[in-house]
Amino acid sequence: MTASSVTPGLLGRRLWNAPSFLRLRREGAVAPVSAFLVFFVVYVIINPELLTRFQLQTASNLVVPLALAALGQLIIVLVGGIDISIGAIMSFSNVVFATAMVSLPVPLALLAGIGAGLICGLFNGALVAYGKLPAIAVTLASAFIIGSISREVMDRPGGGITPEFYLATSGELLPYVPVALFWLAIVAVLLWLLLQRTALGRHIYGVGSSADSVRAAGLNARGAQLAAFALSGVIVALGGIMLAGSTITGDPRSGDPYLLSSIAAVALAGASFTGGRGSIIGTILAACTLGLVGNLLFFAGINSYWQYVIAALIVISVVGLPVLWRRIYQAVRGVRA
Amino acid sequence: MSIPQQGGAVAQAAAPPAPPEALLVVRGLVKHYGPVRAVEDVSFSCQAGEVHALVGENGAGKSTVAKMLAGAVSPTAGSIGFGGVELGSGSIRDSRQAGVTCAFQELALVPEWTVAENLSLPDGAPLRGFSQKKATRAARALLDRLELEHIDPSVPVYSLSLADRQLVEIARAIAADPQLLILDEASSALAPPGVEWLFRRIRELTARGTAVVYVSHRLSELAEIADRGTVLRDGKVAGEFRRGAWTDDQLISLMAGREASRHFPESPPTPAADAPPVLEVKNLVSPGIDGVDLTVRPGEILGVGGLQGHGQAELLRALYGAAPAVADHWHLGGHRIKRLTPVRAVRLGAGYVPEDRKREGLALQMSVGENLLSPWLKAFGLGGRPLLGSQSSWISGVLRSLSVRTRGPLERAGALSGGNQQKLVFGRWTDRDRRLVLLHDPTRGIDVRAKQELYDAIVRLSGLGVAVIWFSTEVEELVHVCHRVVVLYRGKIADELEGERLTADAVVGAAVGVKGRR
Repeated sequence: MTASSVTPGLLGRRLWNAPSFLRLRREGAVAPVSAFLVFFVVYVIINPELLTRFQLQTASNLVVPLALAALGQLIIVLVGGIDISIGAIMSFSNVVFATAMVSLPVPLALLAGIGAGLICGLFNGALVAYGKLPAIAVTLASAFIIGSISREVMDRPGGGITPEFYLATSGELLPYVPVALFWLAIVAVLLWLLLQRTALGRHIYGVGSSADSVRAAGLNARGAQLAAFALSGVIVALGGIMLAGSTITGDPRSGDPYLLSSIAAVALAGASFTGGRGSIIGTILAACTLGLVGNLLFFAGINSYWQYVIAALIVISVVGLPVLWRRIYQAVRGVRA
Repeated sequence: MSIPQQGGAVAQAAAPPAPPEALLVVRGLVKHYGPVRAVEDVSFSCQAGEVHALVGENGAGKSTVAKMLAGAVSPTAGSIGFGGVELGSGSIRDSRQAGVTCAFQELALVPEWTVAENLSLPDGAPLRGFSQKKATRAARALLDRLELEHIDPSVPVYSLSLADRQLVEIARAIAADPQLLILDEASSALAPPGVEWLFRRIRELTARGTAVVYVSHRLSELAEIADRGTVLRDGKVAGEFRRGAWTDDQLISLMAGREASRHFPESPPTPAADAPPVLEVKNLVSPGIDGVDLTVRPGEILGVGGLQGHGQAELLRALYGAAPAVADHWHLGGHRIKRLTPVRAVRLGAGYVPEDRKREGLALQMSVGENLLSPWLKAFGLGGRPLLGSQSSWISGVLRSLSVRTRGPLERAGALSGGNQQKLVFGRWTDRDRRLVLLHDPTRGIDVRAKQELYDAIVRLSGLGVAVIWFSTEVEELVHVCHRVVVLYRGKIADELEGERLTADAVVGAAVGVKGRR
């Protein structure tokens, strides 16, 4: 399905066909991973300062909430849906967490924030899986509902985030190792284990590929769909909490910009919007690429209005190049044969 | 085949009382979909170690019965007794746990899952660990045990051919070690060796005491494998038969409810050999095709035979321009061709009936009339009802000449039965000044009556001077209807059979690489 049987000269054929690499190729992650590597090198050339402790920390605080939102979006896309309420869920768990921090101890506040995301996910999931409604309609509606509730909980930025919490989410774990990246890595590894190494995870991939077939195999397709929405809600809530930590405030509008970016990151990651195909590492690196475009332009001295144009060009070229490459490859092979 | 015996098939509506030792006892099964009565009072029984066939035309209700047995559909009324347990809860999981598995007609494999995942995931709870390595190893062992060494368990199912997918689907049903195995048109995409493989597996299972419910259209298969059978017509039991006590004609008339004396129409007269060829191609090369020469004259029916995956599908796609192809010399309808696209092929007088009617052939959500007109729609022309109105005489002519059973040109194409859908895909090319029509196994998985109607339509088309290239997995069709048959083997023409040499044995022989058998 990818530009598969082509071997790029540099990588050996053995590496190209190794099982783990095969999975990356099948999930469409080769293009976004390579794109990130190229982008990273360009970034460091334009702005070598990125590799200082301060800039690494700000860059990861910028990127990690987007990466978590993108992972949440990926899970919904895997089951063949799309989540318009991602930004709203993020704001909601953000304000619930910030409000809870005023009066509750941190673990309870964390639970409240995550629980808020979980409830939103279960609400969407129940309507999609058991109400058999289209995901885009359900999540569009819930985006408005959740958005209103967030403003009811907290109508202007505030809340009780402490500096200690800032250090725990957005400080440094070790010199040169931002703690935000550490938390992202833990979430990513747990999610990877769940999706690739449990039957439920494979069911989630299967439901997106063909829900009827999963049902015909005697499996609970609706349950897998509901689980995917719940899981997505939890991960997006973690994104909202990380965002609260890095900005030291709760804000009912803080999640809104993440909706389109999360969809863009999933598209950049090469996931199939009809479901069943998408990679975690590809999504995270795609989110990193898109999240850092603005910074790069700032350091390159280009007007930041161009940020979205550049991001759009990256998405189109990364998604389009494999298609173009495959077409050229087939044409060349047809002529040669 | 069978021993002809007058009155051997017992044509009676009421089933005899089930013997007490029967493993599966179906009584008074009824299924209504709204006002549509799909199954009406069906009763039969099946012993352990027995192969019980369910036959009938499409829409006769046999797939619905099979689905109720498998738990995919819950019955409106009636009972399914299975070894003393009552099934029919409408849960596939319950049926599987009771020991009933089913290979579905509409393939129930998840395309993005690997073969190993498809084989291993259906068993067990969702909350448990899953290891690709272990699953692949287990799948490898299973496939080896079932003589399917050629299937790689680590590839995703979407990359397999239709026949291999069907083999995996059957393997999955067998792997659960069922007490009752339901095979719903399980052989529809299999070539003769695949069918033999299936029969070996069925015999292994029945020797262990597993009962098999075998749903099929292919009468020759029934003669070989079925111990007993039930004929369904319009959702009711039309009759029963047992091994050796029936003939094809009896069964067909039971299924169709009328006397159907022969399977195949008379071959049309052999076309004039001096007419300029419609299609002439030398050394055609395309992915899967390795140097094929073909010449087809007006009014000729050229059969394409061979085992699945030896380049037949690729050949048809290349000739229609749907796959990239080059040739040393290529003429279609008097025009020289360097590169072909489907649009150009249609303009030069070609038509194509693709392999998968649901995916490639039809827009299931659109109307019958729009589907018939789809190659003839103009970007800036009329659409919808005005278009159907202006074309109504052609549409009704096609629907009538192919006897498509539909409520009219405005009905949704997805609501038709398989055979009638296939007629739509075929019908769009009739009466439209075609010079060449390419058919990819048009009779796959459709009932006997629809098949005969399609044969008649193909012969009628060739009588009008249209050249037909027809790939079929059923050797009998090639032998009886075609003027000439080319058999492909590994992307090349292994043999060209005509006149005296055109026999079923010769086609099968050439398909497995044995040349010159008679």
